[in-house]
Amino acid sequence: MSGRVLVVEDEPEMQRALRAGLRYHDFDVRVAGTGEEAVHEAALWRPDVVLLDLGLPGMDGFETLRALRPASRAAVIVVSVMPGEKDKVRALDAGADDYVVKPFGTDELVARIKAVLRRQADVRSGEPVIRSGDIEIDLARRAVKVKNRAVRLTPTEYELLRVLALNAGKPVSHSTLLRQVWGDYAIGDRYNTRYVVAQIRKKLGDDAADPHYIINEPGVGYRLQTE
Amino acid sequence: MARKLAPYGVAVGGTILLTAGIGAVTRFASVSGLSAFYLLSVLWLGARWGRGPAITGSVAAFLLYDFFFVPPVGTFAVRGPAELLELVVLLAVALVTSQLAASLRRAQATSEAFARDSRSLYEMATAALRTPDVTSALTLVANAAADLSCVREFALVAMDFGQPVPLAGASVGAEQVRQAVWSYEKARPVGISIKDGTVTVLKQTGGADAWSYLPLASGVVVLTVEDQHHDPADLRMLAALIALADLLLDRRRAALESERARGLEASDRLKAAILSSLSHELKSPIATLRAGLTALAAPRAGLADEQRELVNDLDHQATRLDRMVGDMLALSRLEAGLELDREPHSFADLAAEALRQLRGQTKDREVVVDIPDDLPPVDADELQIGRVITNLLENALEWTPPHGVIEIGARVRGSTLEAWVENSGPPISTGDLDRVFDTFWTRRARGTGLGLAISKRVVEAHGGTIRAENRRRGPRFTFALPLAQVTAPQ
Repeated sequence: MSGRVLVVEDEPEMQRALRAGLRYHDFDVRVAGTGEEAVHEAALWRPDVVLLDLGLPGMDGFETLRALRPASRAAVIVVSVMPGEKDKVRALDAGADDYVVKPFGTDELVARIKAVLRRQADVRSGEPVIRSGDIEIDLARRAVKVKNRAVRLTPTEYELLRVLALNAGKPVSHSTLLRQVWGDYAIGDRYNTRYVVAQIRKKLGDDAADPHYIINEPGVGYRLQTE
Repeated sequence: MARKLAPYGVAVGGTILLTAGIGAVTRFASVSGLSAFYLLSVLWLGARWGRGPAITGSVAAFLLYDFFFVPPVGTFAVRGPAELLELVVLLAVALVTSQLAASLRRAQATSEAFARDSRSLYEMATAALRTPDVTSALTLVANAAADLSCVREFALVAMDFGQPVPLAGASVGAEQVRQAVWSYEKARPVGISIKDGTVTVLKQTGGADAWSYLPLASGVVVLTVEDQHHDPADLRMLAALIALADLLLDRRRAALESERARGLEASDRLKAAILSSLSHELKSPIATLRAGLTALAAPRAGLADEQRELVNDLDHQATRLDRMVGDMLALSRLEAGLELDREPHSFADLAAEALRQLRGQTKDREVVVDIPDDLPPVDADELQIGRVITNLLENALEWTPPHGVIEIGARVRGSTLEAWVENSGPPISTGDLDRVFDTFWTRRARGTGLGLAISKRVVEAHGGTIRAENRRRGPRFTFALPLAQVTAPQ
């Protein structure tokens, strides 16, 4: 699989390292040093993935993310040095598809890029059935199966799994889950979400210490594994 | 003096004039019951000036009446009991009316004084509460108190976070301040007390120079009182002023506390900003190193096997460096006392997450999880406690021989959750049991000596405890965390 990756990064050494590393993995790479350049390049070149460093000089990462979102259909992977969990959540809620913490190895980065590309392909195919390992979530029929065996979920459990499935592969923040499952005026806390996730895992036959379907994103939320 | 005697002059002169008038009338006509006119005049004197002038008037009336109108006219001779009775009636009327009038006047004076006090207190309170600066408002109150006739000196000493600050009114010496602190800390008044809206002055051994102390919620009133002549109205006013000072001192304390909280918040923000910029400075070069080295390790980079191996070794070193920097930053963050993000968490979930992260390393060891399903949640920062569990598990992995056992467990003990991580590795020597949590102390050649030190600080920041001991199977680390107060989810 290959694709166009726009690297938004201000440090020349890091630019060189990423450009070389991604090209060795068959990606088509362009580099932008500032947020303005990134927005311009995203509109002209139409990359599949934007690798956006949050610590940019001038127009910062969050502003760039906001400016990119309406203009480009590219998936955005946010990159940051020791981001607070709040920054991760803020980036996800602002429309980022994933985040990577610096320092990272090229292999890890390539895996993340491939994952968002795969998800884009799934979304474009418009397939109403989402698969994660042995489970199958049929959004059209509101049906969930594990190894072809139907699983009965409560409406809350199904709704939570559906939100994760719609964002399959992408971390979904606790606040987004609360809002989408319990509504805008939810007076829930994260403990409620955890309780429901634990119930779903139990019904899917998943082990929290070695989960195959719903993965914890500590301090951020949950992610439905797609593979 | 002249003013005091004037009513008596009027009493005597008025009665003479009245007698002349009655004389003029009786020259033309004989009128009975003339003494009633004298009664009226005595009534008026009593109501107007009180007892003294009324009695003077009644005696003068009796003498003049007796002299001019009672036969034998021209003498003071009293001939019968009827005339004596007349004198007694006049005197009695004088006494009773003057008494009535006097008490009426007193009541009126009291109510006027009361109205005056309320008005001046109201004005004082309004002025004090309108003054944006509490200290000047307190000075207003202290000056008003010092102006009262029963007060000689009046001062207010604020207690700011346990420290005395002489604030308003008379200047007080070090000894008075010391006494004020004593009175405040013992909550014990000295020399005066306040009850039912008035001040009571107690007898003191030191005489007129003795200082009195009255502890309030956020400060102390320090004053000396006149040793006699305490007007009750003044004492009530003093009590009211002290109540006002109490309120103002409270307001001052609240303002100081919020100011201090703002200051602490600002210094926390500064610490966080410094740490965040330090993280960036230390981590960015490592990020470039790792991105470059791992890029070179890709097969397409075309390095020879030997070279690729070298590049991979370098990347491992960069990863180690990254961990060390991360640990040191975590430690400074904890030492800066930055806030925890606490929420109710299931300990089983936290442990499961830590085990998931270490999945690759636990394969040839037996991992026993002894965590009951029905444990109540702990009040913890997910990431920080996650780090503690990971640190303890990594430590256990390091010391457990292949096919050895690692156990992680938890139980409720009182209002805490007690959790442990145990391994079947060699015991820790007794002398080292206390030192394992010291910063930079390590038994490992490649360890940073920070993992357990961080764990201890994280647990203690949660109000918990952590300890190391040797069990029969091997070393065990036990930590306690407070349980969360939550309502069960619907």
